Amino acid sequence: MRLAAVASGAMLACTGCRARESELHVYTWADYFKPEVVARFETQERCRVVIDTFDSNEAMYAKLRAGASGYDVITPSSYMVQVMNRQGMLLALDHTRLPNLVHVDREILRVTIDREMGHSVPYMLTITGLAYLRDRVPDFKPTWAMLDRSDLAGRMTMLNDMRETIGAALKFLGYSLNSTDEGELAKARDVVVRWKRNLAKFENEQYKTGLASGEFLLVHGYSGDILQVQKENREIVFAVPEEGASFACDDLVIRKNAPNVALAYRFINYLHEPAVAAENTEFLSYLCPNLASYPLLSEAVRANPALFPSAEVRARCEVIVDLGSANALYTRVWDAIKTAP
Amino acid sequence: MSAATPRRTGEWPLTLPSMVWLAVLVLVPALIVFTVAFKPGDPYGGVGAGWTLDGLRGLARESYLAIGWRTIYLSLLTTALCLLLATPMAYFMARVRQRWRRTLLLLVVVPFWTSFLVRIFAWKVLLHPEGPLKRVLAALHIVSADATLLYNPGAVLLVMVYTSLPFAILPIYAAAEKFDFGLLEAARDLGARSLHAFWSVFMPGIRRGLASAALLVFIPSLGSYIIPDIVGGPSGEMIGNVIAQRVFSDRNLPHASALSALLTLVVLAPMLAALVLRSRRDEVAPRRAGPR
Amino acid sequence: MKGSRFPLLVTAAVIAFFYLPILVLVVNSFNASRFGSTWQGWSLHWYARLAAEREVWAALRITLIVAVSATAASAVLGTTAALAIHRYATRLQRLHSVLISVPLVMPEILVGMSLLLFFATIGLELGIFSIFLAHVTFSLSFVAMVVLGRLQGFDESLLEAARDLGASWWTTTWRVLLPMLAPGIATGALLAFTLSIDDFVITFFVAGPGATTLPIRIYSMIKHGSPPLISALSTLLLVVTFVAVWLSQRLMERRG
Repeated sequence: MRLAAVASGAMLACTGCRARESELHVYTWADYFKPEVVARFETQERCRVVIDTFDSNEAMYAKLRAGASGYDVITPSSYMVQVMNRQGMLLALDHTRLPNLVHVDREILRVTIDREMGHSVPYMLTITGLAYLRDRVPDFKPTWAMLDRSDLAGRMTMLNDMRETIGAALKFLGYSLNSTDEGELAKARDVVVRWKRNLAKFENEQYKTGLASGEFLLVHGYSGDILQVQKENREIVFAVPEEGASFACDDLVIRKNAPNVALAYRFINYLHEPAVAAENTEFLSYLCPNLASYPLLSEAVRANPALFPSAEVRARCEVIVDLGSANALYTRVWDAIKTAP
Repeated sequence: MSAATPRRTGEWPLTLPSMVWLAVLVLVPALIVFTVAFKPGDPYGGVGAGWTLDGLRGLARESYLAIGWRTIYLSLLTTALCLLLATPMAYFMARVRQRWRRTLLLLVVVPFWTSFLVRIFAWKVLLHPEGPLKRVLAALHIVSADATLLYNPGAVLLVMVYTSLPFAILPIYAAAEKFDFGLLEAARDLGARSLHAFWSVFMPGIRRGLASAALLVFIPSLGSYIIPDIVGGPSGEMIGNVIAQRVFSDRNLPHASALSALLTLVVLAPMLAALVLRSRRDEVAPRRAGPR
Repeated sequence: MKGSRFPLLVTAAVIAFFYLPILVLVVNSFNASRFGSTWQGWSLHWYARLAAEREVWAALRITLIVAVSATAASAVLGTTAALAIHRYATRLQRLHSVLISVPLVMPEILVGMSLLLFFATIGLELGIFSIFLAHVTFSLSFVAMVVLGRLQGFDESLLEAARDLGASWWTTTWRVLLPMLAPGIATGALLAFTLSIDDFVITFFVAGPGATTLPIRIYSMIKHGSPPLISALSTLLLVVTFVAVWLSQRLMERRG
């Protein structure tokens, strides 16, 4: 037994001294890079890429604040990048180490928050909307009011994301999804509480497999996720509600005091090589805003309105911005929604 | 233990390691939880400086009452169901032949050794709306074709009973094994009916096992979080879910601490009661060395 | 009425209830369908996929590292605690035994929450070491409880004989008591090992970068993975558990 104690002590000590020069720690959404792409980077750079996943920006942020400090590259959503930057958590990017940044689509940069790419590089774009099974929901209309349908009760989900779900209600009522007006928020709260009665769950990840397996019939989700499972189940259709939805961008950031800054720069630069960006776009069905990669995409992808939405759809959509201390308003509303009977 | 008091010099070296470990990693964190409950949160998820009663005031929200009540209600129901099922089982297991006893014990314990998450996941698969169980029940017209067996408090209760039953069976069985079944025979010889003998002789005889089982099921159930998260719906949330949400999604540590502090106090109450009762019993009949 | 079949029926029903979902899982792992809700034929595809899932095997490695080290530490601490509580009947020991029993019944979410705050306060970086500390904390109470149970049914006469023959307390303990207590310590250690391998909630709160244990990986797979893949992993875990139990039964039979 003594031997075991000594041996395990030695093992523990050694996990602290693993070769940090050749490891890149990435904290990201699940399935957010094509595995082959990562494997090629590993071979190219002779390193190991360790990927940990989170399922919400807030959960990731809470973990970082609580002391998880070994990550190099993180992929938060833009509004969370704002928060993290204000807290001084991000490294200012040296563009000379990122030559592939010239390929980034300037049109898209206009909707991101960090337009100069001072501390973040756009990685993937998405629109949220509704997805449904064509054969089980024959009379679908592209509106948030579908969530009021009691015949679908128990078979629908909404995102477990405070800003997305309250935002959907705000859009349904005709307000901005960045509203800080308490009256508007109160009305939105009542709408979501009403919708909640028809929901099976608030869910950020399982909704796509749930939809494909027929567990759910109508879900609130991200375009990329839905397009991915469309390949599994041909009955799935994605639609942006006519009242408008949220338009989001996830960015690549490097943590200040990251263990392996050099490798982090090389990884971000690699992801914006046009061929690599095109591969990721095809795999994820989100859009990597790399202009040089667009010609490399397949016809199906380039014609897909979920990836390249029309101007009128784009006009109805808004980007979620961080509201600073006004976030507390949303937290209170979300709380009331979660605890309402 | 011999009647003479053993030398005390060995006491401290034996006691210190575990006591220090527990003091540092159980008591101090608990104190920190109570402390953070009185601090303000900053909008970016940390803990601010100074003191405030906001965390406590936040507890007075009406919605917490509903969730708190649901948590207690589901936990009590789980405990009751577990005791109801475990007692006849323990009775049976304590009376069969030794050979079967070991097999039965193994049968009960082995599922418990598989991953907790896996067992919950198994229910998610079993209760799937398109799965075989639902289809059988729909064919028998027990449920409608559109019904979901998942994502409601019933599913939460079912899975909680499923995961808690071994914790009820083992202590009750341990007590039943020590029970002298001759007493039951004697009672019946004296004319008592079987059920009456069971109720007034067997049950009191295993009451320590029943008490342990009740505590081992009720208290962890109060803190359930994974089960409502995976198979519960928006109306099946328990206090554990709220705490997890405060910590991971809302980044409101003081609130989470206030809730945790409250839950700790609620949990300590039955435990302290049990301790007080046990020490009172020990005062009446002091603990003696050797077999009882 | 208790002479009736009722207890037998309840026992049989409960055992069937225990194994039903497990059976469904095992069958589902051979389901060719990606979603596991409808049966689409037999396939070993998921086992092949599982073998290629690098993240799962990395998580298993970390889980085992933590489990072995936490078991060793908690076996030592739990045994010393049990020895102290059994041997001395002082007020200190009463406090000691209350302290030991706290982690036994505390809901995991409270333990996880308090440890997260504690590590954040003292500035300990979340990682494998924080998981190790957490696991030892709850395991040591279980080991202590098991060993204490053994000690309470212990035959003191051998120890007294050794002492009468002039052996010091230390010698008596080390060469007579501990060897006789070894099966109890082994049982406690096995319990600690099982708890460590399977722990999710507490680990989830205190895990850090690169410290994804198998339960955390399984949770992530449940959230976005394919049900038959998880079923395949679960079936493998089940098989390993059954084999381990069978082996330990055979070993104990040979000893006894």
